Amino acid sequence: MAHAFRRRPDGSLACRLDGEEKAIIAQVAQETADLIRGDLGIDQGGDALRRAAESEDPLRRLEAEFAGREARTPSDSAVRRLFPAASEDPALAEEYRRLGQRDLADAKLADLRRVMRILDAAGGGHSEVVLDEDEAMSMLRALNDVRIVLADRLGLQRDGDFDTVRMLQQIGERVEGAESSGDDEHVGSDIVIAVYELLSWLQESLLRALD
Amino acid sequence: MPVDLPRAEPRTRTRTDAATEERTTLETEGPWCTVVWNDPVNLMSYVVFVFRRYFGYSRVVAEQLMMQVHDEGRAIVSRGSREKAETDVQAMHSFGLQSTIEKAGEG
Repeated sequence: MAHAFRRRPDGSLACRLDGEEKAIIAQVAQETADLIRGDLGIDQGGDALRRAAESEDPLRRLEAEFAGREARTPSDSAVRRLFPAASEDPALAEEYRRLGQRDLADAKLADLRRVMRILDAAGGGHSEVVLDEDEAMSMLRALNDVRIVLADRLGLQRDGDFDTVRMLQQIGERVEGAESSGDDEHVGSDIVIAVYELLSWLQESLLRALD
Repeated sequence: MPVDLPRAEPRTRTRTDAATEERTTLETEGPWCTVVWNDPVNLMSYVVFVFRRYFGYSRVVAEQLMMQVHDEGRAIVSRGSREKAETDVQAMHSFGLQSTIEKAGEG
């Protein structure tokens, strides 16, 4: 059972999570990172490109610059929420994607990786997870990005939609309880709802501890 | 709210010069705005935290802006040069907020 974040006397921020909770958070962080990389076409080639961009050879640098300009508009609806258009003018939005999307993706992926590393380091069982201020910022942003992806999968469009989803789930549980039917699709969205609630609660508790 | 002034040697100019130049800059360059849009995911406390942490706004200002986003669907959270607005929009995206750049008066 998770215990909320609190500020410790030395200024660090700590919460307690059990092994299953850590594993779930690490897993959805990994899935979010994979989704971003897959949709934006960021792969292992990215490192080679980066090296080329820092190369002494001007031709290689130019090549890298052009390759880096392929900032595609995300096709996945969740990734579009993570990388929204920066302008309502499509031409301007396209230009901003070209200029900033890769840096934004690198920052998001770095946050997600950092959170996975922190959770790994905390070990498999019930344990304390301790963050410094900088790690807390990464945790906040990463939790938020994962929540954005889960919200998209749950079809949340407007304020209050999560309450509706939650209510429908409870009605479903009562109906299913009577009929004892357990179809896979329902079980799947039940897990997404539970993880979304866990992450929201954890993020809120971290915000309160930081305040 | 911050408006970028042209950089020059301040000692060599009179107050009137500076005022004229500021007016010219405003007329020709902008100012540009950073708009944050409402969405169903970001926690109210998170949005307030981001406005305070990134822009350095007081709690009262940050809460007002957050409520404006929540109630009206959008709020202008910063103004300035185009470069500043671009930086701010990118920063809002890094926090997962929905944000666009806008020329003042177009919204």
